[in-house]
Amino acid sequence: MVNFRKGLVYLLIAVLCVTQLYPLLWLVLYSLKNNEEILSGSFFALPKTPQWHNYSEAFHSGHYTQYLTNSVIVTLSTMVCVILFSAMVAFAITRFRFKYGNIVMLVFLLGMMIPMQATLLPLMIIFKNAHILNTRWSLILPYIAFSSPIAVFILSGFMRGIPNEIEESAVIDGANTYRIFWSIIVPISIPPVMTVCILTFINIWNEYIMAATFISKEALKTLPFGVYSFVSQYSTNYGDIGAFLIMGAAPVILLYFLLSDKITKGMADGAVKG
Amino acid sequence: MRCSFVFGLILSVYKEATVLKVLKVPAHTIAVFILPALLIYICIVFIPIGVSFYTGTLDWNGIGESKFIGFDNFHRLLFNDPFFWPSVKRTLLYAVASMVEIPICLLMAVLLNRYVRKANTLVSIYFTPVILSVVIIGQLWKTIYNPESMGGMLNGILVSLGLDSWTHNWLTEPKIAMYSIYLVSLWQYFGYHLLIQFTGVQNIPSEIYEAAKIDGADGFKADRYITFPMIVPIFKISIVLAFIGSLQQFDLVMVMTGGGPAHATDVISTHMYNSSFMSQQYGYGSAIASFLVVLCLAFTLVINYVMNKVERKYT
Repeated sequence: MVNFRKGLVYLLIAVLCVTQLYPLLWLVLYSLKNNEEILSGSFFALPKTPQWHNYSEAFHSGHYTQYLTNSVIVTLSTMVCVILFSAMVAFAITRFRFKYGNIVMLVFLLGMMIPMQATLLPLMIIFKNAHILNTRWSLILPYIAFSSPIAVFILSGFMRGIPNEIEESAVIDGANTYRIFWSIIVPISIPPVMTVCILTFINIWNEYIMAATFISKEALKTLPFGVYSFVSQYSTNYGDIGAFLIMGAAPVILLYFLLSDKITKGMADGAVKG
Repeated sequence: MRCSFVFGLILSVYKEATVLKVLKVPAHTIAVFILPALLIYICIVFIPIGVSFYTGTLDWNGIGESKFIGFDNFHRLLFNDPFFWPSVKRTLLYAVASMVEIPICLLMAVLLNRYVRKANTLVSIYFTPVILSVVIIGQLWKTIYNPESMGGMLNGILVSLGLDSWTHNWLTEPKIAMYSIYLVSLWQYFGYHLLIQFTGVQNIPSEIYEAAKIDGADGFKADRYITFPMIVPIFKISIVLAFIGSLQQFDLVMVMTGGGPAHATDVISTHMYNSSFMSQQYGYGSAIASFLVVLCLAFTLVINYVMNKVERKYT
């Protein structure tokens, strides 16, 4: 009976592995086939000869490196700003003798319930008037804003637990506030900063709607938007589309392969503590 | 969780004991630390929402003159828009569907924890779709849903099983298009909720189970009296996340169908997006956006209230 139950569980696990992974694997096979093989509809057959040229075609005609560079620039600048600014706010809220700390916190948390899409139209109008539509700022600024609440929440949750004695001794040793922040609080807070890094990275790297709304210049498109444009442009080169999708997924998959424990832990923390 | 935290904060704003904190700093230092994030935040989140409520009262196409028309847009939205209430219904149906998924994830988490030694690896595998961009997920499933003549996998499988009559144009038949999208979303977020539940199950100390075993409770009996009550807070988080996430459901629909065919897959957000950006009715689009904000706030409060009650009852 126990063995039977165990077998059933293993079967369930295997089925789930197939449903969760096979579509991705299928896409890899798909990307190595020519149109003829794809249209013949053999969904599990290996490609007869792997069509590696699908990748080189997609790579060259799809501006892959350009999209990738844009994504890296936007994501990295967002992450640096989010971490710095949120750590500063979290520090001020939790460690300063300051009456309105909780009100500041409240402002951030209230904003968490506001759906991002509702700001698209007004933001576009505002950005247009500020002449930053179609620049990197039009992505970085909203990305910072929508990433900060959870960052402030996680960081202040951690900083609240740092014992007061640390600052007391630092003050006695003559360190000023900036020094305390930069040389004591920030180094101690590395673990929650990592969590924030992961959450921000995954969200920003994959963001599509804002990129599609605020950017129309080819030269500034980020990877998800680039993938979308490529697919609509080359809708009949099935193999190339598959290849471009794989290349679009590759950076995150690679990172996940290297850091999967950290990433799953970060995402779980983000959900549970947020 | 966030929401109950907000209420706690509102109460504590007036009680906050500032005495315990060490650093007495001048006002300009406080400003240096708080203002960068706060200013960006207010300018990008709160001011646009305010603008949105205002432009919701205008008849405006975004370029020409705008005319103040009071609540006409809202009136039209609630009473004269044949596509609006169906889109609300789809949004709520989606919320229900994603909440139904969570008990399944919990069951799976319990099973994995009990029967598999290296369950972490499996959870990481199931989690893979979560980290991918919605664009990639959407395009991948679009190719899967393609007609068999275009190499679509799903129809290909059905045909090879001899179920030709079950094949469909999954994304272009109005009756099933929405369910096809629900399925993709449930597929993508399965790993996410499984991870949350699994982390919760793992955090229950094993001593409790050992003690229960001595008292004669193991297997599903132990789950009923130990796992379930101890997992309720985590379960609640998943439910709230799934519910709020589905109210804001947007990207996937935009990528896969854009709300079509003939509004058959419109959810509130895509209806808002299409009214504003496709048909250039900025005023009307803003009215829908304002409605969405109010709806999200209201439902967040309601779901938190309900879940807190549930939590108190079972723990």
